[in-house]
Amino acid sequence: MPTVVLMDVSLSMTRPVSQDGIEEFQRKNLAVHGLNMLFEHMASNYRLEFTALMAFSSLWELLVPFTRDYNALQEALSNLEDYDKTCVESALNGVSNVVQQEWGSACPCQVVLVTDGSLGIGKGSLRHSLLTMKQRADDKKFPLPFPFPTKMFILCVANAEELQMTGAMDNLEELLRLSGGDGQIFSMEGLLCMQSVQAMFGKLIDRAYSPFHAVLHCGNLSSDVQVFPRPEPFVVDEEVEPMPLTVNTDLEIMGFIEIADISSPPVISRHLVLPIAVNKEVDDVGTGATDEPEEEASASQMAGKSPNFCVLLHGSLKVEGMVALVQLGPEWYGMLYSQADSKKKSNLMMSLFEPGPDPLPWLGKISHLGPISEAAENPYGEDDSKSPFPLQPQVKRSYAQNVTVWIKASGLQTDVQKILRNARKLPDKTQTFYKELNRLRKAALAFGFWELLKGVADLLERECTLLPDSAHPDAAFQLSHAAQQLKLASTGDSQYAAFDHNIVPMHTDFSS
Amino acid sequence: MEISKMKIFGVPHKTVFVVDHCPYMAESSRQQVECDVLTKSRAQGVIPLAPVSKSLWTCAVECSMEYCRILYDIYPKDKVVNYIVSDSEFHILNSWRQEEQSTHELMSALAAVGPPNPREDPECCSILHGLVAAVESLCKITELQHERRTALMDTAERVANRGRIICLTNAKSDTHVRMLEDCIQETILEQNKLAAGSDRLMAIQQCELALVHIYPQGEDTLVSDRPKKEISPLLTSEVHSVRAGRHLATKLNILVQQHFDLASTTITNIPMKEEQHANTSANYDVELLHHRDAHLEFFKSGDLHMAGTSTRENGLKETVTLKWCTPRTNSIELHYCTGAYRISPTDVNSRPSSCLTNFLLNGRSVLLEQPRKSGSKVISHMLSSHGGEIFLHVLNSNRSTLEDPPSISEGCGGRVTDYRITDFGEFMRENRLTPVSESSHDPSGKLPFERAKGQLERHTRYWPMIISQTTIFNMQAVVPLANLIVKETLTEEDVLTCQKTVYNLVDMERKNDPLPISTVGSRGKGPKRDEQYRIMWNELETLVKTHAGATDRHQRVLDCIIACRSKPPEEEERKKRGRKREDREDKTEKNGSKDTDDKSWQDSERLKGVPDKEDQESEVIKDSPDSPEPLNKKPRLSTEEVQPPERAKGPVSLLSLWTNRITTANSRKHQEFLGRVSSVNNKFELYQHLKDENGMDVHENGKASR
Repeated sequence: MPTVVLMDVSLSMTRPVSQDGIEEFQRKNLAVHGLNMLFEHMASNYRLEFTALMAFSSLWELLVPFTRDYNALQEALSNLEDYDKTCVESALNGVSNVVQQEWGSACPCQVVLVTDGSLGIGKGSLRHSLLTMKQRADDKKFPLPFPFPTKMFILCVANAEELQMTGAMDNLEELLRLSGGDGQIFSMEGLLCMQSVQAMFGKLIDRAYSPFHAVLHCGNLSSDVQVFPRPEPFVVDEEVEPMPLTVNTDLEIMGFIEIADISSPPVISRHLVLPIAVNKEVDDVGTGATDEPEEEASASQMAGKSPNFCVLLHGSLKVEGMVALVQLGPEWYGMLYSQADSKKKSNLMMSLFEPGPDPLPWLGKISHLGPISEAAENPYGEDDSKSPFPLQPQVKRSYAQNVTVWIKASGLQTDVQKILRNARKLPDKTQTFYKELNRLRKAALAFGFWELLKGVADLLERECTLLPDSAHPDAAFQLSHAAQQLKLASTGDSQYAAFDHNIVPMHTDFSS
Repeated sequence: MEISKMKIFGVPHKTVFVVDHCPYMAESSRQQVECDVLTKSRAQGVIPLAPVSKSLWTCAVECSMEYCRILYDIYPKDKVVNYIVSDSEFHILNSWRQEEQSTHELMSALAAVGPPNPREDPECCSILHGLVAAVESLCKITELQHERRTALMDTAERVANRGRIICLTNAKSDTHVRMLEDCIQETILEQNKLAAGSDRLMAIQQCELALVHIYPQGEDTLVSDRPKKEISPLLTSEVHSVRAGRHLATKLNILVQQHFDLASTTITNIPMKEEQHANTSANYDVELLHHRDAHLEFFKSGDLHMAGTSTRENGLKETVTLKWCTPRTNSIELHYCTGAYRISPTDVNSRPSSCLTNFLLNGRSVLLEQPRKSGSKVISHMLSSHGGEIFLHVLNSNRSTLEDPPSISEGCGGRVTDYRITDFGEFMRENRLTPVSESSHDPSGKLPFERAKGQLERHTRYWPMIISQTTIFNMQAVVPLANLIVKETLTEEDVLTCQKTVYNLVDMERKNDPLPISTVGSRGKGPKRDEQYRIMWNELETLVKTHAGATDRHQRVLDCIIACRSKPPEEEERKKRGRKREDREDKTEKNGSKDTDDKSWQDSERLKGVPDKEDQESEVIKDSPDSPEPLNKKPRLSTEEVQPPERAKGPVSLLSLWTNRITTANSRKHQEFLGRVSSVNNKFELYQHLKDENGMDVHENGKASR
């Protein structure tokens, strides 16, 4: 989930922080200090996150486009200049553009707005923006909510009392609500100083940038992993279950499925699963195994050399073209697979399905997937020629059965013509003739369209009179039999108009 | 991606159709259908059949069936329909139950009702009977509501009860419509009171009425259209006044889209073989309906126009055009798909529609391209069927935030090169999943997926990840036992197979067959043959021990191993043995065949151990091929020119003759080296060290000499 850091560089940020001590700081210095701390944290613990840095006052400027180069971000922070007044709305428009250009409108994004809480005055101020929000033309709409899912974190280099007094807090709360409500407003506690700004950014880090560590299990095999980006809590239905679901820190593999069987399933998010070294005793692998000779090697080299389950799993998934089904929580599942990027580097990836007992209709209920060893015979066949998937739905969809729709006249005409065409080829086409006839009969009865039954009966009788002399004698018998049966059905007489009743060919014997 | 936030128990969960079955519905719609299309050649002298025309009833029924067809295609569960017909009384044609949710079920019931009887007394007939029944029906709990309420227990009140009534009737006037609305409102209040005191009924929290007034073609309507309006906090109502026939069909198609958040996609440029001219193909378009979230990306980015939206003639409905794309995708590719939505063709039995759907139902997938005015082509969707259901998949076409990750080979365990990839592949195939019918009950009371996890647990109790960490899993001879021992229960026959495997290993040991001890990273020579077997037996014992507690039969396999294997000597014995060995090695140098020497020592050592064992076990040993035989002693007498025992039997090829010669020669060269190694290290560490540097193969096969 990419991050945009939106840094307020208006003049008010240069206000000095009153301190008893010797050194004097501007609010800007505190903000920069906090952001440096954030970037340092990300560089070491969350380095795959793409981050962009924007500065804004009455105008906005993209200082560093999305990057994983945290040095570049820190470098840019050290070169900030001071500008005029704060205009949040235009800056948010900037964020919207920058994000959509890079990631489209579906990718969730985090916005970290760093300000001193003085949100401008008059036109262009946040208060003004919020007041005039509802009287905008379509092309000048307020940028929130963004088209992409947003987490909005607002960090104020000011304390809560100050923000309450100026009314800035109300405006910021409104801003958070407009962005979709996902996020938080942070303010400083106590004196405005380095310690309190560190504490504030520390809270942000805990909330949004702490790496997600989990243990991947496959029976007794396991590996410590980082899941990146952090899996977000998910709400399926606010009304029925308002508590968001979270991903377990124990990820349990349940079994394996062929890629062709899982068949490009829809997922709510994708994550890298990166094995990590955790300082604990190296697993003792059986008595017959050899221990690594002691070496003077760096920790990372050691980690690279000791076997890791993720690497084994990744290798086999890739070779076999399979995925591992993994349980993420109660009735929440995902899949692990090998994903290669354009540079042919491949990685272990985890995709999350939408929470629920049966996220993929073609697999059925996940809790009802069992080991193949339980089946009487291998459902994949001895030579892998078969598959128990996909599951067939109990009722066929309309397009998979021969439904009758006469909404357009052409639908009805086609069906009548089909019967007539077969009628002219009796007795060769007896089976098809009756099949089509019965289909029409059923639909006409259901739609209460008795007039049609009479009409088709008349048509069949006419066909009977038009039969050429060379025609098989059976044709005439079948035609008049069919016509008579349709007429009987059109009376609605329960004996002849039953829906499940079928007109059967008249029994004739011309074989001799 | 954002998942649709349609509430599970929103208004669309329950739909009641109330269709007027009063005498006036038997009137003709006055829309005539020519069903006798005469071909010119036959036209002469034949009087064509008079065109037929549908009644208002027929129009109402077929359009409502079309509404249900689309609904059931796209929401086969969780959205339920109750169909009610009203004349002098109400007739409920189905219930909320899942098995009564299909167009076939409804059509069968409709056939039983038949068309309205024009001779019935109009005074007795009213749509009101049906509307009252509809409200009562909305109070009845559905299977899903029941299931969720039961699951939520004390928070069961979170399960809401909302619904919609679609009334197809011929109203007399606006006043008449208002009377119907008032009546529904009153009935809701009454029924809610009743529901408050019942377990099986739920009060209605929200009801939407869509009243469709149908009148014959060529007449003026007596009822005016009215957009949605709130009658009360519980009831909203909208009125549509529509001519029977085509207009009604269009109206209900629009309604089903509005009611269920659907959108339309037109697949364009579908190549299709012509019936008449098999070798030419023309391009067709097919319109599909699906949940509108399949277009989410377009809506959000304001890309709708670029995506080829076209407004259709009625001006009310929009469709997004996506282009058929060749080449097709293959099924073993895992696309990054952010959503999959069931589809329903708008014109289900037209030839282009059925060609497309049949193509997909045969298991093929089609990528769809977003037409853009310029620039690169963007594949945004994929049509694919899964088990007789067709889905429109939304593919991600944006830049990935996960691009350029560190390769797995750079991370933990990335430098290890001898993972048992193939073995784990085999493991995965054995641990594939299969659907187990819900009715099949396991005595353990565990769900199938828990049993699958249980199997994984059993299969991984001892599973070395790299080749150089294992001997037994590199041995074909161990396979039968390794496959069986992980089973939850063993048959008597399984135990026998396992025992045979063990005997076979004993036999191999006796014959001094080489073991596939890894030579990875070995400098020098690997462990000696007897050491190899000790490692192998230890490993086998470790594997079987992890399962021995499962059943008595598992335990018997372990017992068999313990009884048959060469005993790992106690610490003291080891030291003694080491001393003995030193002595012996002096002899071996002259003798040239130390392996066999060791072997015989081992045998005698084992024989000493046997009498301590229980009678039963000693029996096993006597029966087993492991019992000492004179053959073992033979090699001791062998001279330089005698071949090692495992090669002594059967015809001998020139190659093996040569190899043996080299081996013998090499083994002579090695003797000194071995002695040196053992004399440098202390006895206990000798074994540890050798274990690390598995180099035996080199020595034994004589393929390389150092």
